Amino acid sequence: MPEVARAEYLEELASLEASALGGLDLVNIALGRTLEAVERQDVELAQLVVADDDRIDGRYLEVHQALITLLATQSPVATDLRLISSLLHVLKNIERMGDQCVNICKVIPISGNEPPADEEMVRLILTMGRQAKTLITQAKRAFEERDVEMAQDLVRQDDVVDDLNRDCFRLALQLGDDADKREWAMTMLLAARALERTADNAVDIGEQVAFVVTGLFREFEDASHPS
Amino acid sequence: MLGAATKRSEPQGKKGGGEMAESRPATATTTEPAAVSGRRAKTIETRGVDLFYGDFQAVEAVTMTIEPNKVTALIGSSGCGKTTFLRSLNRMHELTPGARVQGEVTLDGEDVYGSRVDPVAVRRLIGMVFQQPNPFPTMSIYDNVAAGLNLNAKKASKTQRDGVVERSLRGAHLWEEVKDRLDKPGGSLSGGQQQRLCIARAIAVEPEVLLMDEPCSALDPVATLAVEDLIGELKSRYTIVIVTHNMQQAARASDVTAFFNLDATGKPGHLVEMGPTEEMFTNPNQKETEDYVSGRFG
Repeated sequence: MPEVARAEYLEELASLEASALGGLDLVNIALGRTLEAVERQDVELAQLVVADDDRIDGRYLEVHQALITLLATQSPVATDLRLISSLLHVLKNIERMGDQCVNICKVIPISGNEPPADEEMVRLILTMGRQAKTLITQAKRAFEERDVEMAQDLVRQDDVVDDLNRDCFRLALQLGDDADKREWAMTMLLAARALERTADNAVDIGEQVAFVVTGLFREFEDASHPS
Repeated sequence: MLGAATKRSEPQGKKGGGEMAESRPATATTTEPAAVSGRRAKTIETRGVDLFYGDFQAVEAVTMTIEPNKVTALIGSSGCGKTTFLRSLNRMHELTPGARVQGEVTLDGEDVYGSRVDPVAVRRLIGMVFQQPNPFPTMSIYDNVAAGLNLNAKKASKTQRDGVVERSLRGAHLWEEVKDRLDKPGGSLSGGQQQRLCIARAIAVEPEVLLMDEPCSALDPVATLAVEDLIGELKSRYTIVIVTHNMQQAARASDVTAFFNLDATGKPGHLVEMGPTEEMFTNPNQKETEDYVSGRFG
């Protein structure tokens, strides 16, 4: 009897996990470009991010299909089953995070090449974006290392993003009566909202880490019943 | 008392089967499908059961509670003692020369191995369905079902027997397929039908518990699913224990799963873990169980 039975299946599962989590790297690249496009009001770079989202969607479709095939052909149970179920969730979150980058990039041309930008607002958005990138990196590592504590820490990191989001809102209210500036501020609020959701997606991935490890699913934070 | 040997000498009648048999009629005359009305079946408990073939210990210290009206699956790699354990529950193990049992097996608190207990009465209360369908091949379908009845209730009238045969065949989901050829030999049926005929034969004597030793391993997938559906219905009336090598069958067809394993070849098998099937297949407590149900070894 071989030392490890079903070696090929296990290799396939490990490879699919790496591919799925690799999607988080693609999101981080897209998010980095998105932040750069916001900072420089770079409409061309924003368009590139929109076009490049096909790669993230492609990763989603490819790995999703392969996981379904594994389910159909290998009858996974126990940890393997939980892992596959989690990866399907993770993929959905990755796809959503890619879409949020697209959402931000689509509003950049609305405000034109030389918008009446407010430096403080841009700084808040960039800080939010960098914090969201940190969450994505941490979510990936927590999943790879099956580290529940690290996954739970995502909630603390996400609170920083939520606070910055509220700061953006307050600042937008204070930006005066200039119509162009108010319109620009509105587009930035949309961007802030997209970044806030991206960070939430990273927390969702953290919840899947806990599910893979413990077999129990629970939300780290319940938005409808905040503690 | 569990079919005490002393009672066997009594005149045949309603007391013939002992106290347990008195809880329901010795023969049924209705044509009601067995699975329609739920009833509380009986609980089997084992405490520290050790099983031997001569000097060889096949099973060690199994303590478990097999709950009524549930399907309990025994899984584990070949040689881990699950079939031996199953056979000890209705005293079939002792039919093998040199085989012996230590520990305690009770049916609703009554000792199955009590000194005054008649093993034949035990086997009537705790029926067995085997891996290979084993109808009496030349005996008619009708007589196959009535066989156990004839042995256990000799005074049943023709009308009563007709009722039991129909009820049992309906209970085994076979009636509609065979009702027009009850006089044909049991061997003329397909494999899946033969297995359902054996189940009909087992339930004809109104047991409390049905033991099934890989009942689908000789059947094709369609017949397997038919038998699994049947098992799901039979649990409303019986306590069911099934040994299976088919992990998906255990996952599909059972409510509770018990995993047996052995540390090495030649060592006795033991119970590693037992729990709700859903948990055993999604989040087992023991790594040994996880490895087995995931197909990592065995």
